[in-house]
Amino acid sequence: MAVKGISLSVKKSQIITLIGANGSGKSTLLEAICGLLPGWEGEITFEGIPLNGFDPPAVVKQGISLVPEGRLIFSPISVLDNLKLGAYTMYRKRQHAAVNQTLEKILDLFPILRQRAKQPAGTLSGGEQQMLAIGRALMSHPKMLLLDEPSMGLAPLIVEKIFEILEALRNDGITILLVEQNAQAALQVADYGYVFETGTVVLQGPASELLADQEVKRAYLGKDYGEFYDEK
Amino acid sequence: MMKNDDFIRMNADEKNQLQLERLQSTLNRAYRNVPFHKKRFKEMGIDLSQIENLSNIARLPFMERQHISENYPYNLFAVPLRDIVRIHTAPGTTHNPTVSGYTPQDLANWQSILTRALQASEVTPHDILQITLNPGLANWGRDYKYGAEGIEASVIPHTRMSIEKKLMVLRDYKTSVLITTPSSALQLANYVRKNEININVFELKTLILIGEAVSEDDRRSLEKDLHVKIWTHYGLSEVPGPAIAFECKAHEGLHINEDHFLPEIVDPATGNVLPEGRFGELVLTTLTTRAFPLIRFKTGDKAKIVTQPCECKSGLSRIDWRGDRTDDLINIDGVKVHKKQIQLSIQSLLKLPSDASKFLIKQRDGKKYIEVWIPVNNAIFSDEIKELESLIQSAEKNLLENIGIPVAIRLKEKSMI
Repeated sequence: MAVKGISLSVKKSQIITLIGANGSGKSTLLEAICGLLPGWEGEITFEGIPLNGFDPPAVVKQGISLVPEGRLIFSPISVLDNLKLGAYTMYRKRQHAAVNQTLEKILDLFPILRQRAKQPAGTLSGGEQQMLAIGRALMSHPKMLLLDEPSMGLAPLIVEKIFEILEALRNDGITILLVEQNAQAALQVADYGYVFETGTVVLQGPASELLADQEVKRAYLGKDYGEFYDEK
Repeated sequence: MMKNDDFIRMNADEKNQLQLERLQSTLNRAYRNVPFHKKRFKEMGIDLSQIENLSNIARLPFMERQHISENYPYNLFAVPLRDIVRIHTAPGTTHNPTVSGYTPQDLANWQSILTRALQASEVTPHDILQITLNPGLANWGRDYKYGAEGIEASVIPHTRMSIEKKLMVLRDYKTSVLITTPSSALQLANYVRKNEININVFELKTLILIGEAVSEDDRRSLEKDLHVKIWTHYGLSEVPGPAIAFECKAHEGLHINEDHFLPEIVDPATGNVLPEGRFGELVLTTLTTRAFPLIRFKTGDKAKIVTQPCECKSGLSRIDWRGDRTDDLINIDGVKVHKKQIQLSIQSLLKLPSDASKFLIKQRDGKKYIEVWIPVNNAIFSDEIKELESLIQSAEKNLLENIGIPVAIRLKEKSMI
């Protein structure tokens, strides 16, 4: 999806959500921020530092971690090893002690992962896999966490749980950029939101206001404005 | 209310970012939902995705009052009618009245805009606030009412009353804040002076003047005569509404609500954006409006933008506005009319051929009205004069009703015009 003429900003220690139907260009933006789109021409600035031309490891080093769509965990290896992979850049610097400390903190945050630490990650349920993906992203001590459709394929109760974790992370000072199709759930935890439609932003505002918005309901339902005008 | 304060404290970079984000989404919504905008952008080959900073807005065409008239009543709405919860009609400046619609969000925004302006005028929950405006500004009366209620002040809403009644309410109800136009305030001050009314028994302390600019002389004499402190607000009587800009306690220009409006100053003749600090025509783009977005709307008001920080520490830029126009609109008591609009109405009401007429702004008992001189030739003069006189009477009534301004029609010989 081509994304052009879009400006958005993410405030420190807030949850910002990008909502909109599938294919509206939300994921493209996350990929651009992570340095996954080498030809990207738009300006990306993080804490005053331009990220243009940074490759993914360099972006991670700046304090940005991605929880990718579909979790992308490594199924055959253990939960523990999956988490350790998230601190890959630190292992190379021989900061084993620090890594272990972080690991303990994350296992405290997700007790279920501690229980399953030795299991192959592929045997986890969808919700547990999502927690693992978030935990792995937290291993590099990000200042900002990017999440691409964390609710995808999860039961409503599990979605609620995942989003509660995001709120807790936000309250700990982590900035969160959340891409979601599940507008309802995302807006309930977010501070501010942007509504995407076919590669452009058509609306933005405090999440509580967007939640009550007619236009958001339309974008969320993926209905075209034309259908509504025909009723006139 | 916190949101308002947050914005006022923003630095220039944060303000620009917020304005750009809101501008982009406003343009996208206008393009998708309003055929008028879509057609014009397409015809001019404008690619909205190339609007990458605020100054890029200069690539877009202007909107003028005539476009509002041409799209009467609902064709400029950017939301389906069922999302609209209020419809305002204002006397237009062309043939059709101006119709604007508001979504619930729009109304909430207006309330916060008015609340912010009233707070800047030091209105508090302890105030008793009286609104007296002429019928042409009835919509503003409603907006001010909601704004004042937002601060929990006690509001005496706008109703039409005689000057005696107005003074009675002012005195007996212990009004502390009066919202009115400069013309009406001067009229009131004249009346007070002429009838030797003791203003000391009044509780009035704040006068908020809207609809017209007030001259320094008038300001001083009103403050002296009525024992009040004056604040002025700037707004547009047709769309979108009042208090687009407001004075703070520094009284050095009017802070423009830049979270809701993007102001530009252009050369009225060429349309080119003028360098900062120059006087030109004020052009406004709405940034938060949902139902009736305006994109580069030419206000016809002459102003300049002051970006130097104000002593009140607000991050909102100010406009220096003295009431001058860049077009031939006449502002009577806050209601704007086109000379041509009056002329066309008179011609059709009196069934006269189209001829140039002369416009004079006059005052009777401190109340402004327009006197129009209509040229007549001898043929009419001799045998149809009686009939014409009665037609004139009904035409004057009709004009008052439709444009909200008193108009006196005088028949004059051609040579006098």
